[in-house]
Amino acid sequence: MNVLRWWSGLLVAFGLLIVLRIFLPLPFNNEIVIFAVYVIGCNFLLGRVGFISFGQPAYLAIGAYGTAFYLYYVGTNPLVGVLMGILAGVVISTIVGPLFVRLRSDYFALVNLALAIIVFFMMQKVLADWTFGDDGLWFLTNMDPTPVIDITRPAGFYVFALFVAFLVWALYKYLDDSIFGACCLAAKINDDKVRFLGYNNFHIRLLAFVIANTTTALAGALYAVYLGFVSPEMTSAARAADPVVVTILGGVGSLYGPLVGAIAYTGMKDLISQAIGNWELVIGFLLVFIMLAGEKGIWGSLEPLLKRLVSRERPAAVAGPATTDAGVESR
Amino acid sequence: MIDPHLLLSGVIFGLSMGSIFFLMAIGLSLCFGLMRIISLDQLLYYAIGAYLTYTISSLVGNVWIGVLAGVAVSGLTAFLIERFVFLRIYARDITFSMITSFGILIGGIGVIKAIWGLVPRPVEVPIEAQINLLGTEIPIYRLVVIAIAIAVYWGIWLFLNKTIIGKAIRAGIEDVEHVEGLGINVYRLFTLTFVIAGAMSGLAGGLNAPLIMVDPNMGLEILAFVFMVVIIGGLGSIKGTFVSAFLVGQVVSIGSLIYAPLAQMAPFAIMLLILLIKPTGLYGSAMLKR
Repeated sequence: MNVLRWWSGLLVAFGLLIVLRIFLPLPFNNEIVIFAVYVIGCNFLLGRVGFISFGQPAYLAIGAYGTAFYLYYVGTNPLVGVLMGILAGVVISTIVGPLFVRLRSDYFALVNLALAIIVFFMMQKVLADWTFGDDGLWFLTNMDPTPVIDITRPAGFYVFALFVAFLVWALYKYLDDSIFGACCLAAKINDDKVRFLGYNNFHIRLLAFVIANTTTALAGALYAVYLGFVSPEMTSAARAADPVVVTILGGVGSLYGPLVGAIAYTGMKDLISQAIGNWELVIGFLLVFIMLAGEKGIWGSLEPLLKRLVSRERPAAVAGPATTDAGVESR
Repeated sequence: MIDPHLLLSGVIFGLSMGSIFFLMAIGLSLCFGLMRIISLDQLLYYAIGAYLTYTISSLVGNVWIGVLAGVAVSGLTAFLIERFVFLRIYARDITFSMITSFGILIGGIGVIKAIWGLVPRPVEVPIEAQINLLGTEIPIYRLVVIAIAIAVYWGIWLFLNKTIIGKAIRAGIEDVEHVEGLGINVYRLFTLTFVIAGAMSGLAGGLNAPLIMVDPNMGLEILAFVFMVVIIGGLGSIKGTFVSAFLVGQVVSIGSLIYAPLAQMAPFAIMLLILLIKPTGLYGSAMLKR
């Protein structure tokens, strides 16, 4: 019974995503699923560990280029390509992690942003012999169809991406419930006390950093396989705000916030850029508005209402720990 | 070995670039020191300063008037944004201001695109003349930029050390609550500091406009370098900002003489090195947790 309850939230959320697939066109659904995976790493860092990162595009690009290099130069199997992307994410975030997680949150954000710009320059100029600069790497025709579900086709890819996203969400739900998740939250709120309890802040943060950024790299790998090409554009500083905006739009630190945020954001982006072209104007002021109006986000505001609704029918369900967390308003 | 003439012009180039970095970073640094906010929108005032310089100088025909107009308009924009946005979020966490100001920056770039369009705009160099220094031709305009940056550093030093308001600001950097306890309205200080920072960023944009092409994303292009300057120098330290601005300028300039792609990478490597040794930057102090 407990097992069923643990999975029920996830199943309902992804069931709703599948329902969305019936009403909305396929590219939009693919975009939503990949974007949600992209954002949950940032959401975890900001909501659970208290690290704000404007450098998520760096890890996205590392994952994407990991996949792209494999598929362009070495092999033809897109599944192996995705694994290579994840591997690249693990390796790079393990290398930079020990340097970055020692920093305070404000320095952390700036250093990550610098990393994103450095990765951009590297992919655009320094490694141009291998990445072909702004032209990007095209490898759509290099990919062999995979057995069972053919992920080189958008329809097959959607099933694959949804399955991957489901696993990612299960992982993060597990992390939220585990002692490690509690340690992260504790390290965010008061790292001195965590040290007195005998935990090592550095190790907690490093592990969280590697997990979150590997997830982001996974999103990059998914993008690469889905689009069949990568270019330095994905790590440009103008897009550095995207994950942070969606995190806040959805609700910081809430498990399903990234899903809600990704749907709302992608939907608005499509509608608004059709209406007025100047997308940055809207996203910028939307961000300021959300921050001034209260930073709970869409899901963050909805979740307590839903909880109350459910608990009225079934009082036993309230017992679970509250997953909402006001995130940035810790002072 | 590098040709000495090339090296000398490289050093001057680095100094003038460092001057621009300094003018940009001083605003970020002061805002962080006093208000504990990370004001990414300084990069917007930089772009505004450059665009005003472009518009006014093509209307009037004098770049210096354009720069002055740029400074005035950026200061005014900073004032308005401080009143309407930052005043509401001073009490919040530092990440909060970072996200909000990033929103302002992105939104402001959208506004600039709506007004001036996407095409990069050229601004003519106000002083075409060159001076012969040890057998190397040096553009005078770059020397003027360096002189202005040094004058600004000196002026800010005088302001912070010799005037009563400046002393209050310095005390506020140490401990805002004590200053408030003395009966000083710290929010006035906040506004003043923010406007000074915005005007300095506008000045940087105006001075840099003749040296580069003015385009909407110019703020984002310089972003990485300004952050490196602020991080290397230590958030909240004016002296550190001054030293690291010229350090980063030299590294970029001399680095590009040795091996061109190095120019983008070397400052980052130096930043990582310094942060490894001293996580608060060269002159940053550990007291920064309020």
